[in-house]
Amino acid sequence: MTVALLIVVGLLAGTMAAALGVGGGIVFVPALVVLLDFTQHEAQGTSLVVIVPTAIIATVVHARHGRVDWRAALPVAVGGVCGALAGAALALQLDGELLRRLFAVLLIALAIRMLLRARRPNLDHASR
Amino acid sequence: MPSKRHSYTRRMASFYLRGVVVGVVAGFISGLFGVGGGVIVVPGLVLWLGLDQRRASGTSMATIVVSASAAALLFSADRAVDWPAAWWLFVGAGAGAVIGARAITKVPEIWLTRAFATVMVLAAVRLLLP
Repeated sequence: MTVALLIVVGLLAGTMAAALGVGGGIVFVPALVVLLDFTQHEAQGTSLVVIVPTAIIATVVHARHGRVDWRAALPVAVGGVCGALAGAALALQLDGELLRRLFAVLLIALAIRMLLRARRPNLDHASR
Repeated sequence: MPSKRHSYTRRMASFYLRGVVVGVVAGFISGLFGVGGGVIVVPGLVLWLGLDQRRASGTSMATIVVSASAAALLFSADRAVDWPAAWWLFVGAGAGAVIGARAITKVPEIWLTRAFATVMVLAAVRLLLP
Protein backbone atom coordinates (compact mmCIF):
# COMPACT_ATOMS: atom_id res chain seq x y z
CA MET A 1 0.00 0.00 0.00
CA THR A 2 2.75 2.39 0.97
CA VAL A 3 4.71 1.39 -2.12
CA ALA A 4 1.70 2.09 -4.34
CA LEU A 5 1.23 5.51 -2.72
CA LEU A 6 4.92 6.34 -3.19
CA ILE A 7 4.78 5.41 -6.86
CA VAL A 8 1.65 7.55 -7.33
CA VAL A 9 3.33 10.53 -5.62
CA GLY A 10 6.39 10.04 -7.83
CA LEU A 11 4.17 9.76 -10.89
CA LEU A 12 2.44 13.02 -10.01
CA ALA A 13 5.76 14.77 -9.36
CA GLY A 14 7.26 13.53 -12.62
CA THR A 15 4.18 14.62 -14.56
CA MET A 16 4.14 18.06 -12.98
CA ALA A 17 7.86 18.52 -13.51
CA ALA A 18 7.51 17.66 -17.20
CA ALA A 19 4.28 19.60 -17.78
CA LEU A 20 4.77 22.71 -15.64
CA GLY A 21 8.50 22.80 -14.96
CA VAL A 22 7.92 22.48 -11.24
CA GLY A 23 10.67 20.54 -9.53
CA GLY A 24 9.96 17.25 -7.81
CA GLY A 25 10.90 18.43 -4.34
CA ILE A 26 7.93 20.73 -4.05
CA VAL A 27 5.71 17.66 -4.53
CA PHE A 28 7.76 15.04 -2.65
CA VAL A 29 8.20 16.88 0.64
CA PRO A 30 4.59 17.85 1.44
CA ALA A 31 3.29 14.51 0.08
CA LEU A 32 5.62 12.50 2.33
CA VAL A 33 4.71 14.58 5.38
CA VAL A 34 0.95 14.83 4.83
CA LEU A 35 0.18 11.43 3.27
CA LEU A 36 2.86 9.17 4.73
CA ASP A 37 3.55 10.72 8.15
CA PHE A 38 7.24 11.35 7.50
CA THR A 39 8.99 13.83 9.76
CA GLN A 40 9.87 17.07 7.96
CA HIS A 41 13.58 16.16 8.08
CA GLU A 42 13.08 12.65 6.67
CA ALA A 43 10.84 14.03 3.94
CA GLN A 44 13.46 16.59 2.90
CA GLY A 45 16.35 14.14 3.01
CA THR A 46 14.42 11.57 0.98
CA SER A 47 13.35 14.24 -1.51
CA LEU A 48 16.98 15.30 -2.05
CA VAL A 49 18.01 11.69 -2.63
CA VAL A 50 15.35 11.32 -5.35
CA ILE A 51 16.24 14.66 -6.96
CA VAL A 52 19.87 13.63 -7.64
CA PRO A 53 19.32 10.71 -10.07
CA THR A 54 16.34 12.50 -11.66
CA ALA A 55 18.50 15.56 -12.31
CA ILE A 56 21.33 13.37 -13.68
CA ILE A 57 18.97 11.87 -16.27
CA ALA A 58 17.57 15.31 -17.16
CA THR A 59 21.11 16.68 -17.52
CA VAL A 60 22.11 13.88 -19.91
CA VAL A 61 19.02 14.50 -22.05
CA HIS A 62 19.57 18.28 -22.10
CA ALA A 63 23.30 17.91 -22.78
CA ARG A 64 22.64 15.69 -25.80
CA HIS A 65 20.54 18.50 -27.24
CA GLY A 66 23.26 21.02 -26.48
CA ARG A 67 21.20 22.75 -23.82
CA VAL A 68 23.78 22.74 -21.03
CA ASP A 69 26.09 25.77 -20.77
CA TRP A 70 28.98 24.17 -18.87
CA ARG A 71 30.83 27.47 -18.52
CA ALA A 72 27.87 28.90 -16.58
CA ALA A 73 27.20 25.62 -14.75
CA LEU A 74 30.66 25.56 -13.15
CA PRO A 75 30.40 28.67 -10.91
CA VAL A 76 26.73 27.97 -10.08
CA ALA A 77 27.63 24.41 -9.05
CA VAL A 78 30.56 25.59 -6.92
CA GLY A 79 28.38 28.18 -5.18
CA GLY A 80 25.58 25.63 -5.03
CA VAL A 81 27.62 23.12 -3.03
CA CYS A 82 28.56 25.79 -0.46
CA GLY A 83 24.99 27.05 -0.18
CA ALA A 84 23.54 23.54 -0.04
CA LEU A 85 25.87 22.44 2.75
CA ALA A 86 25.02 25.57 4.76
CA GLY A 87 21.28 25.20 4.11
CA ALA A 88 21.26 21.49 4.97
CA ALA A 89 23.31 22.05 8.13
CA LEU A 90 20.86 24.75 9.21
CA ALA A 91 17.84 22.58 8.37
CA LEU A 92 19.23 19.71 10.47
CA GLN A 93 19.70 22.09 13.41
CA LEU A 94 16.16 23.48 13.20
CA ASP A 95 13.21 22.04 15.05
CA GLY A 96 11.07 19.88 12.73
CA GLU A 97 7.89 21.80 13.41
CA LEU A 98 9.48 25.17 12.66
CA LEU A 99 11.00 23.77 9.47
CA ARG A 100 7.60 22.41 8.45
CA ARG A 101 6.02 25.83 8.89
CA LEU A 102 8.78 27.55 6.95
CA PHE A 103 8.25 25.02 4.17
CA ALA A 104 4.52 25.85 4.16
CA VAL A 105 5.38 29.53 3.62
CA LEU A 106 7.64 28.54 0.71
CA LEU A 107 4.79 26.49 -0.80
CA ILE A 108 2.36 29.41 -0.63
CA ALA A 109 4.91 31.78 -2.15
CA LEU A 110 5.57 29.37 -5.02
CA ALA A 111 1.84 28.83 -5.60
CA ILE A 112 1.31 32.61 -5.91
CA ARG A 113 4.29 32.88 -8.25
CA MET A 114 2.92 30.06 -10.43
CA LEU A 115 -0.50 31.71 -10.69
CA LEU A 116 0.96 35.13 -11.53
CA ARG A 117 3.26 33.62 -14.12
CA ALA A 118 0.45 31.63 -15.75
CA ARG A 119 -1.21 34.93 -16.67
CA ARG A 120 1.79 35.82 -18.81
CA PRO A 121 2.12 32.79 -21.06
CA ASN A 122 4.82 34.36 -23.24
CA LEU A 123 7.22 34.24 -20.31
CA ASP A 124 9.52 31.31 -19.83
CA HIS A 125 6.89 28.69 -19.10
CA ALA A 126 6.98 25.96 -21.68
CA SER A 127 10.70 25.46 -21.89
CA ARG A 128 11.16 24.97 -18.19
CA MET B 1 45.85 45.36 -26.76
CA PRO B 2 46.30 44.90 -23.05
CA SER B 3 43.35 47.10 -22.10
CA LYS B 4 40.98 45.04 -24.17
CA ARG B 5 42.24 41.82 -22.67
CA HIS B 6 41.93 43.39 -19.25
CA SER B 7 38.27 44.24 -19.78
CA TYR B 8 37.62 40.71 -21.08
CA THR B 9 39.16 39.27 -17.93
CA ARG B 10 37.02 41.54 -15.81
CA ARG B 11 33.89 40.54 -17.70
CA MET B 12 34.63 36.88 -17.17
CA ALA B 13 35.41 37.41 -13.49
CA SER B 14 32.10 39.22 -13.11
CA PHE B 15 30.27 36.41 -14.95
CA TYR B 16 31.76 33.75 -12.67
CA LEU B 17 31.11 35.81 -9.57
CA ARG B 18 27.44 36.25 -10.49
CA GLY B 19 27.24 32.50 -11.13
CA VAL B 20 28.64 31.74 -7.68
CA VAL B 21 26.12 34.10 -6.05
CA VAL B 22 23.20 32.44 -7.88
CA GLY B 23 24.58 29.05 -6.81
CA VAL B 24 24.96 29.99 -3.14
CA VAL B 25 21.40 31.36 -2.88
CA ALA B 26 19.85 28.43 -4.79
CA GLY B 27 21.95 25.87 -2.90
CA PHE B 28 20.90 27.36 0.43
CA ILE B 29 17.20 27.10 -0.45
CA SER B 30 17.80 23.57 -1.78
CA GLY B 31 19.58 22.36 1.36
CA LEU B 32 17.20 24.13 3.73
CA PHE B 33 13.97 22.87 2.14
CA GLY B 34 14.89 19.63 0.36
CA VAL B 35 14.02 20.96 -3.10
CA GLY B 36 16.17 21.25 -6.22
CA GLY B 37 16.52 25.01 -6.29
CA GLY B 38 15.68 25.39 -9.97
CA VAL B 39 13.19 28.06 -8.99
CA ILE B 40 16.21 30.29 -8.21
CA VAL B 41 18.79 28.95 -10.69
CA VAL B 42 16.68 29.26 -13.85
CA PRO B 43 15.68 32.93 -13.44
CA GLY B 44 19.18 33.68 -12.12
CA LEU B 45 20.81 32.24 -15.25
CA VAL B 46 18.38 34.09 -17.54
CA LEU B 47 18.26 37.49 -15.89
CA TRP B 48 21.75 37.73 -14.47
CA LEU B 49 23.99 35.56 -16.65
CA GLY B 50 22.22 36.13 -19.95
CA LEU B 51 21.36 32.54 -20.86
CA ASP B 52 18.28 31.85 -22.96
CA GLN B 53 15.44 29.98 -21.30
CA ARG B 54 16.11 26.55 -22.83
CA ARG B 55 19.78 26.53 -21.94
CA ALA B 56 19.04 27.94 -18.49
CA SER B 57 16.70 25.04 -17.87
CA GLY B 58 19.26 22.42 -18.99
CA THR B 59 22.12 24.12 -17.19
CA SER B 60 20.16 24.35 -13.92
CA MET B 61 19.73 20.55 -13.97
CA ALA B 62 23.50 20.05 -14.13
CA THR B 63 24.05 22.37 -11.14
CA ILE B 64 21.25 20.70 -9.15
CA VAL B 65 22.98 17.31 -9.51
CA VAL B 66 25.97 18.69 -7.60
CA SER B 67 24.24 20.87 -5.00
CA ALA B 68 21.46 18.38 -4.17
CA SER B 69 24.13 15.66 -3.75
CA ALA B 70 25.95 17.78 -1.19
CA ALA B 71 22.76 18.43 0.78
CA ALA B 72 21.67 14.78 0.48
CA LEU B 73 25.00 13.65 1.96
CA LEU B 74 24.43 15.70 5.11
CA PHE B 75 20.86 14.43 5.49
CA SER B 76 21.91 10.81 4.99
CA ALA B 77 24.75 11.21 7.51
CA ASP B 78 22.04 12.35 9.92
CA ARG B 79 19.96 9.27 9.03
CA ALA B 80 17.20 11.49 7.69
CA VAL B 81 16.73 9.50 4.46
CA ASP B 82 14.23 6.70 3.86
CA TRP B 83 16.04 4.82 1.08
CA PRO B 84 13.29 2.36 0.07
CA ALA B 85 10.81 5.26 -0.14
CA ALA B 86 13.29 7.21 -2.26
CA TRP B 87 13.56 4.27 -4.66
CA TRP B 88 9.78 3.99 -5.22
CA LEU B 89 9.41 7.75 -5.63
CA PHE B 90 12.16 7.62 -8.24
CA VAL B 91 10.39 4.80 -10.10
CA GLY B 92 7.13 6.77 -10.11
CA ALA B 93 8.80 10.03 -11.14
CA GLY B 94 10.52 8.37 -14.10
CA ALA B 95 7.25 6.92 -15.31
CA GLY B 96 5.46 10.24 -14.72
CA ALA B 97 7.99 12.19 -16.75
CA VAL B 98 7.36 9.92 -19.74
CA ILE B 99 3.72 8.77 -19.53
CA GLY B 100 2.09 11.56 -17.52
CA ALA B 101 3.61 14.37 -19.53
CA ARG B 102 2.15 12.91 -22.72
CA ALA B 103 -1.29 12.20 -21.30
CA ILE B 104 -1.59 15.60 -19.70
CA THR B 105 -1.04 17.64 -22.86
CA LYS B 106 -4.80 17.30 -23.41
CA VAL B 107 -5.46 19.53 -20.40
CA PRO B 108 -4.99 23.31 -20.90
CA GLU B 109 -1.93 24.48 -19.00
CA ILE B 110 -3.76 27.27 -17.20
CA TRP B 111 -6.12 24.77 -15.56
CA LEU B 112 -3.24 22.49 -14.69
CA THR B 113 -1.48 25.41 -13.05
CA ARG B 114 -4.57 26.46 -11.11
CA ALA B 115 -5.27 22.92 -9.94
CA PHE B 116 -1.68 22.39 -8.87
CA ALA B 117 -1.44 25.77 -7.11
CA THR B 118 -4.65 24.94 -5.21
CA VAL B 119 -3.20 21.62 -4.06
CA MET B 120 -0.02 23.40 -2.98
CA VAL B 121 -1.98 25.90 -0.87
CA LEU B 122 -4.07 23.10 0.69
CA ALA B 123 -0.88 21.18 1.50
CA ALA B 124 0.60 24.35 3.02
CA VAL B 125 -2.47 24.82 5.23
CA ARG B 126 -2.20 21.19 6.36
CA LEU B 127 1.49 21.71 7.18
CA LEU B 128 0.73 24.85 9.16
CA LEU B 129 -1.77 23.00 11.38
CA PRO B 130 -0.16 21.43 14.45
